[in-house]
Amino acid sequence: MQDAITTLINSSDTQGKYLDDASLERLQSYFRSGEIRARAATTISANASTLVTQAVARSLMYTDITAPGGNMYTCRRYAACIRDLDYFLRYATYAMLAGDPSILDERVLNGLRETYNSLGVPVGATIRAVQAMKDVVSDLLGAEAGKEMGVYFDYIASGLS
Amino acid sequence: MDESVMSIITRMIAVADLEARYLTIAELQTIRDFFEAGQQRLRIANILAANSQTIINTGTQRFWERCPVTPSNSGNPTYRASCIRDQGWYIRLVSYALIEGDTKVIDTVGIRGAKEMYTSLGIPLKNLVECMHCLKEAAMDLLSLDDGMVAMPYFDHIITGLTP
Repeated sequence: MQDAITTLINSSDTQGKYLDDASLERLQSYFRSGEIRARAATTISANASTLVTQAVARSLMYTDITAPGGNMYTCRRYAACIRDLDYFLRYATYAMLAGDPSILDERVLNGLRETYNSLGVPVGATIRAVQAMKDVVSDLLGAEAGKEMGVYFDYIASGLS
Repeated sequence: MDESVMSIITRMIAVADLEARYLTIAELQTIRDFFEAGQQRLRIANILAANSQTIINTGTQRFWERCPVTPSNSGNPTYRASCIRDQGWYIRLVSYALIEGDTKVIDTVGIRGAKEMYTSLGIPLKNLVECMHCLKEAAMDLLSLDDGMVAMPYFDHIITGLTP
């Protein structure tokens, strides 16, 4: 797992160098954004289940997918969908705090599309749900923090497609 | 847990992830404090980087006064150069750890296997530890009391890690 800090340290260490000015500049702006990141993470964790419910309501609930024959039909499948969206939200929040998407690759995206395909989970609908989550999170957090979270939802969406 | 270099942030995320939960309010407060102290940490790291030569020179002189019989003071230029080079590495590791707020980079790069390596090279560990003490003192001389308090634990971490 990486974050905005360790990425720069790792590449400096490989070269045996101190951090250069450009790296220091980037770290400074990351540190300056800390208040926003920490506050956003607090808000999301307090509202996580509502956010997932809203995202589902916006994207999947009233489509064929929840009707008999759909991939969210039967409570068990519905619950699996909710659980996965919960994961996406939590990992996107981790990545936002870290200022780095690598945890999404390591813990979420690696092999996910293949898993979904083999289980018959429709990837297109999943992506719509992730995008809906991006919208409801942004509504809750406001533009600045919402934009930062959006980066990681987009990362998940593009990793799935 | 993850084997790679960590910051205080990745470390907390890794712990939360093991328990499949969000970070607690207390953890987020720690992260917030870390972000807030970020400018100071960067500044101290910068001071160490800019003055590494001075710190090494002062540290080396002091080390030789305290441990006159040691490979780096034996007149062998290779030993001398290696000693100085390694001191520079340890200062660099302290500057990384300061920025990350975490000692893992020191462990991974500078502690794990270090005792075995120095022993096999014929460097007395007791002297090595003394050298690190001198390096720490030389760094502390350069830093204000406040900055020194922030940097000191990382030097101490090296000293503890290399103590036979």
